[in-house]
Amino acid sequence: MTSARKRFASGVLLASLFLLFAARDANALPAFARKYGLRCSACHEAWPMLNYFGQKFKDNGYQLMNDRDAPIWQNNGYWPVTIRITPSWHRESTDKVAVDQAASGQQRVTSHGFDVGGLDLLSGGTLDKNLSFLFVLSSDENAAFHFESVNARFDNLFGSPWLNLKVGKFELDNIVSEKRGLTLSSSGGGFQLYHFVPLGDNNFVGQIGDNQFGLEWLGHSANDRTRISAALINSSDGNVDLPGSNSYTGFFAGSQAFELGKLGTQRVGFYAMVGQAPTNTLTSGGPDFPIAGGGFGNKNFSREGFNGIFYLGKLDFQVVTQHGSDDAYFATSTAAPGALPAGARSAVWNGAFVETHYVYSPQLIFIQRSEWLRMSQQAIPGTPSNLGDIDNYVFGYRYMPIMNSRAGFAIHNEYSWIRQRGGAPDGTDLTSNSLFLGFDFDF
Amino acid sequence: MKARYKVAGMISMLLVLAMGLLWSTRSVSAAAEGKITGTVKLDGAAPHMKGIDMSKDPFCVKQHENSPAHLENVVVGPGGGLQNVVLYISQGLSGAEATQVASQEPVFDQKNCMYTPHVLAMNVNQKFKVMTSDQTTHNIHPLPNALAGNIPWNKSQPPGAPPIEASWKTEEVAISVKCNIHPWMHGYFVVVKGPYATTDEKGSYTIENVPPGNYTVTAWQEEYGTQTAKVTVAAGKPGTADFAFKAK
Amino acid sequence: MRRMMLNGSLVLTAVVTVALCSFSWAQATKAEEDRRLGMESHIGKLTGHAAAAQGTYRRYCVGCHGVLGDGEGENAQWLDPKPRNFTLGIFKCRSTTTGTLPLDSDLFDTIGRGLDSSNMPSWNPLSSQERADLAAYVKHFSARWVTEKPGTPIEIPKKPEVTAERLKAGQEVFQRVECWKCHGPTGMGNGPSAATLTDDQNRPILPYNFHDGNRFKCGTTDEDLYRIFMTGLDGTPMPSWSDNIKPDEAWDLVFYLRTLQPMKSKAKEIARQIGLKPGAPSAAPASAPQQ
Repeated sequence: MTSARKRFASGVLLASLFLLFAARDANALPAFARKYGLRCSACHEAWPMLNYFGQKFKDNGYQLMNDRDAPIWQNNGYWPVTIRITPSWHRESTDKVAVDQAASGQQRVTSHGFDVGGLDLLSGGTLDKNLSFLFVLSSDENAAFHFESVNARFDNLFGSPWLNLKVGKFELDNIVSEKRGLTLSSSGGGFQLYHFVPLGDNNFVGQIGDNQFGLEWLGHSANDRTRISAALINSSDGNVDLPGSNSYTGFFAGSQAFELGKLGTQRVGFYAMVGQAPTNTLTSGGPDFPIAGGGFGNKNFSREGFNGIFYLGKLDFQVVTQHGSDDAYFATSTAAPGALPAGARSAVWNGAFVETHYVYSPQLIFIQRSEWLRMSQQAIPGTPSNLGDIDNYVFGYRYMPIMNSRAGFAIHNEYSWIRQRGGAPDGTDLTSNSLFLGFDFDF
Repeated sequence: MKARYKVAGMISMLLVLAMGLLWSTRSVSAAAEGKITGTVKLDGAAPHMKGIDMSKDPFCVKQHENSPAHLENVVVGPGGGLQNVVLYISQGLSGAEATQVASQEPVFDQKNCMYTPHVLAMNVNQKFKVMTSDQTTHNIHPLPNALAGNIPWNKSQPPGAPPIEASWKTEEVAISVKCNIHPWMHGYFVVVKGPYATTDEKGSYTIENVPPGNYTVTAWQEEYGTQTAKVTVAAGKPGTADFAFKAK
Repeated sequence: MRRMMLNGSLVLTAVVTVALCSFSWAQATKAEEDRRLGMESHIGKLTGHAAAAQGTYRRYCVGCHGVLGDGEGENAQWLDPKPRNFTLGIFKCRSTTTGTLPLDSDLFDTIGRGLDSSNMPSWNPLSSQERADLAAYVKHFSARWVTEKPGTPIEIPKKPEVTAERLKAGQEVFQRVECWKCHGPTGMGNGPSAATLTDDQNRPILPYNFHDGNRFKCGTTDEDLYRIFMTGLDGTPMPSWSDNIKPDEAWDLVFYLRTLQPMKSKAKEIARQIGLKPGAPSAAPASAPQQ
């Protein structure tokens, strides 16, 4: 691996960390709480993470199913809009950053200050019984908004909970949702597992954590204990407009919940994402000018694993595993049908995370997440077997002094540490940590 | 000698028994002697009682073809007498006297889509009957304060249905009764301890079975609330208490 | 000026006194309720413990039903129908006679089922243990559960086979006991008395419209329908009919009522075959006057 490539890779890592933070989007809607007069805690284990009741509400198409769901039942003044803002102070420190002034060419860079994680404008709800919509507009630092989510849903078709369709841009059906995660810091806010690519890999498509355009079918039992879904999504980065190629990806998920006596309701499930995406594109006027829709050289990728939510009284554990594979063309950033480096093969990895919550009360929750990603097959033979491995540990708490049916207000404190093997400019390990102290509220 | 003792013993035993019997029935027989009488009047012009629109039920309309129905919140008789005022002894009764339950079973009839009587007084735990004389379905829905001990219920009574027998567990002045099917039908159960009376169309009343003593008598009227008066009942001399509610 | 200030301070004192009184009243009520935290519920093999439901109640229920269980949660003001006041011990969905306490299983079922056309959703995503605990917690709000036993559940005989005769008999029951007074001659919830109905808090309430095909308040099955009209829904205008409809007739009525709903059912199919029309064959009810 050339040093240029390594620099590029670590740059990508840093950029993606910040992107993760900037693109945090929440799906907690006091608009719903207002509509039904329920407290945040009714649907959220701790806002914005859903509990089983909230998951069922969502799976029913934002309906309680008590025949008061259609907007005709609402006061004329009701307008389903929610705003989420997260002002904060945070400190980011990365141990090895390429620096011109440093004798070794790299040194630790630490930055801190007051910040805001952007602003989310959310709206969702029913247009009529069993017909609903959701849009989430997320702003960047210039208050330029992008469509984080925008979809229409048709639920309980033919009166069956097994027939629900969703069209538009939506979060993939992850029962352990990153969008509803309880962590906010730059390096610990997102799930590495939902965004991971090996060092040197340029596949930006196979990211479970990104909202995607597509069509989803969801079926669930009346009490939502059994859920199954299949989605056909564009192989793209989830941006508006037709993607770079005409290829698709499938995402499948299923889960089953069961009661375990006094411990509560446990849920186990699986997910699988299999697809093809372009590695090359038609250009006009040089390699920097791709033609929209001109992608070609489609190659395969896949991500699959198990997930589960386990309760032990006030403790709960969210577990996700992953087995991932990217075609050699992705793994070596080679544009097909170009020549692959000698002996190149698919990159394969395994990963897992365990997130633990201690829910002292619906208003105070302690959080920990430990995440590990391990390469099992490097694309280029002879590469150190642990290159690109990631370890990520996050600790924090969230205290919600205000939590009613009109607004939620959380004080959030979190520390995160992450290490990527061989990610530093000199090819050694790169570590980075984040300290986050802020307010997270929506109304 | 022996036999004489025996007779004397038997006589004295009988005497003791008789005295015991006398003692045990004393309060009752003594009570039968005393009573409280009086009248309740309305001071001022009788308020206008609205006519009732029964057009939602043709049966009810037909019953009132010749005598239009009016609300019965304030019913004033000749000479200003107030009807449907309940009088009861709110102070001065001994424990035993207060827990005595009148033996008769008063009847609350649904007649011509009205409650007859409009106000039914009774003792705690006294059985009463709700019956219907109408050829239309009613529901009887008393609404006591459940927190105070009496529990609401709601029963139907279609034409020809047998009477409903019920009683109330605790004192309550007063329990509102309604028929949801005929929203104008609204009456009261007044549940009290000890002797009670309800005024007739002239506004007069007699509380029977009051043992001699000093009492406070309370008069309750659904619109005007309560008034109290001190009354003394002596043996063979009934107490009297007249009340006058001021028209609003 | 001074007098005004004096008045002001008097008013302030009064306000503070009232506030303190109501506060201490609430505290006293809470303390009294807390003494009943040992309350249990028994649903089949499940045993629910009130004390175990404190967190669950706070998480899911308190916003509407309130800390004291009096139905005065922060959201109650926005809701209609109002949340149930548990301190009264009066419940719509019972298998017991009117005016009596429901069975533990009735409370458990209501929590899991929710109440249609109200803000009470189905809480079946909660585990059955949690729901059993909540049933016990609902009980602990009212002292009635200490002094009274639940009523006797009404007996529901085995459902007979639906026949054309039974449908006709059911229609006669519908006419005889005058269900149409509120529910309308064809079950559309537009009977002559419908517009004036009020619940126990004197708030307007609508009779069930069979043509909507919505879930009943207290269940979906034929047995549930049987139970609903026989026990009545306490707190609403719906009275108990168990004194006036015999068990066999009750089944006839259940079958007839099914023909008024839009859902497919055997009763509806037979009604179509024999041309049974909802409405008044004999005692023609007066149509509801124009409002």
